[in-house]
Amino acid sequence: MRHVAVVAVLAVLLLGAFPASADDPPWKQGMPPELKDSPLAPIAQPPAPKAPGEIPVDKIKLPPGFKASLWAHGIHNARVMTWGDKGTLFVSSRVAGNVYAVVDKGGAREVKTIAKGLNLPNGVAFRNGTLYIAEVSRITKMERIEDRLDDPPAMTVVYDILPRDLPHGWKYLAFGPDGKLYFNIGAPCNICLPPDTHANISRVNADGTGFEYYAHGVRNSVGFDWHPVTKELYFATHARDWLGEDVPSDRFDHAPRKGLHFGFPFCHQGDIPDPEFGKTRTCSEFAPPLIKTGPHVAGNGVRFYTGAMFPAEYKNRAFLAQRGSWNRTQKSGFRVMMVTLRTGDVPKYEVFAEGWLQGDQIWGRPVYVQEMRDGSLLVSDDYAGAIYRITYQR
Amino acid sequence: MPLAGLWVVAAVLAMTAGAPAHAADLDAGRHKAEPCKTCHGPDGNATTPGIPSLAGQPAIFTHWQLIKFRDGRRKDPQMSAFAASLSDADMADLAAYYAAQPSRPRPSPTDPEKVAIGGRLAEQHHCASCHRPGLVGHEQVPRLVGQDLTYLVKLLRGFKAQTAGDLDGTMSMAVERLSEADIENLAHYIADLSGRSARP
Repeated sequence: MRHVAVVAVLAVLLLGAFPASADDPPWKQGMPPELKDSPLAPIAQPPAPKAPGEIPVDKIKLPPGFKASLWAHGIHNARVMTWGDKGTLFVSSRVAGNVYAVVDKGGAREVKTIAKGLNLPNGVAFRNGTLYIAEVSRITKMERIEDRLDDPPAMTVVYDILPRDLPHGWKYLAFGPDGKLYFNIGAPCNICLPPDTHANISRVNADGTGFEYYAHGVRNSVGFDWHPVTKELYFATHARDWLGEDVPSDRFDHAPRKGLHFGFPFCHQGDIPDPEFGKTRTCSEFAPPLIKTGPHVAGNGVRFYTGAMFPAEYKNRAFLAQRGSWNRTQKSGFRVMMVTLRTGDVPKYEVFAEGWLQGDQIWGRPVYVQEMRDGSLLVSDDYAGAIYRITYQR
Repeated sequence: MPLAGLWVVAAVLAMTAGAPAHAADLDAGRHKAEPCKTCHGPDGNATTPGIPSLAGQPAIFTHWQLIKFRDGRRKDPQMSAFAASLSDADMADLAAYYAAQPSRPRPSPTDPEKVAIGGRLAEQHHCASCHRPGLVGHEQVPRLVGQDLTYLVKLLRGFKAQTAGDLDGTMSMAVERLSEADIENLAHYIADLSGRSARP
């Protein structure tokens, strides 16, 4: 009898008999009973960057031989980093609404704000002298920007036939090996049946023509990169919230060709049908994650390592910056992971840098990674408004 | 551009980009809040319908709203003009000053029936998860108790129209399924709390 009761309780918990009231706002749908009165809420973005003295860079823990230093600070909400042809580092922000240019002056970095008041301008990409910026509903460009950092040109529109939804409306933006601009159009909700226009990775030519969807069923991917050898796309995806402390896992995905569906909103982490939307579909219909990266870890920046400074085994490894959880009592993420792809075997997935989380307190959130020309690695922190540089010496 | 001009531009840009976190100064904030008193009340408790009270608002929230007004992502004829002249330090001081002022009751004419329906809506939509029990706010999430009916209606409509200065879409998600009637009922519920609550 007791066994029957236990099984029944388990069935209720596992099969998602969650009281998903039709009146619940989308971001709370599927909230399990034990989290109904949960005070979990997104972590506050500080309204100003931290001063160098408030950034304990020595707490960043790395493998032997590696060292982290504070490379730049005072960059409010620093997010995506991309290099200009002449050595300028362009840095985006999200809620701060700014785009920055960081000029390396040898011993110090000068930070210039080149655009402000933008609508969540998370995406920046650079090609042929031109900086491309992705806001919620448009992609714009600044031509010859490196020649006029102190007098930036007007932003001209490349493509603006995009949804205006703010939830998951901020974009990652990068040039693929085909010369096209790739970006995400996130689901406009925590969990919902999104319109056909949402929950994907899309691409468009740099002149704004030839828009098409590349990957479907992607809840929100704000970081991706192409393998240096195979030139195939790998991306990080944030999974839905309020399904539980330990499920579903976020994902690291592989999209070797156009047209794959990665399961949202029907199936999470490749093997958990959604309590509401999973009833009519099966998980086997969809591309499974290459790696389950952990619950609520919020993987953002993805970058394959191509440099010569780090030990030889680091070549072609992917770094994955995890900005960290909010929808979990015990915080997870707040670290940089590394992924080693192996022929005929599952990828190796291990910690590279951690220490932004101390106990249950955070002092920073690693969010994007970018290689320097000397092979060292930059890590941006949107919470502290800083960029760290990780070097290696045998 | 002459060299001196270039230098000024570079300096201004460096200041706006590189200003690190500023230790907020309450007394400076009190002084800087002088021009705010006409509308927001002598201690941040407004009495004019449609004007928000700032007393007891979490400092992070107020600071972010000022940033939004300054860079034009949130628009208001008075506030946009005022915020245009503020430095990051001014914003930190003002936000800290208002966070330290006790919130006082703010009576609005409310309809008991709408209050009751609004209360149920607030529960269904889990407003207290972010706004905390009693809707007193927390960090970047504003205190709702202390606001009047007119402002609450205007704000909720603004989130639907994406003109209310939503930081990252969280409120847009929350209001997505609210009807105009829901907005009115929720506003009556919160305005009723404002009339009764005297907690800081």
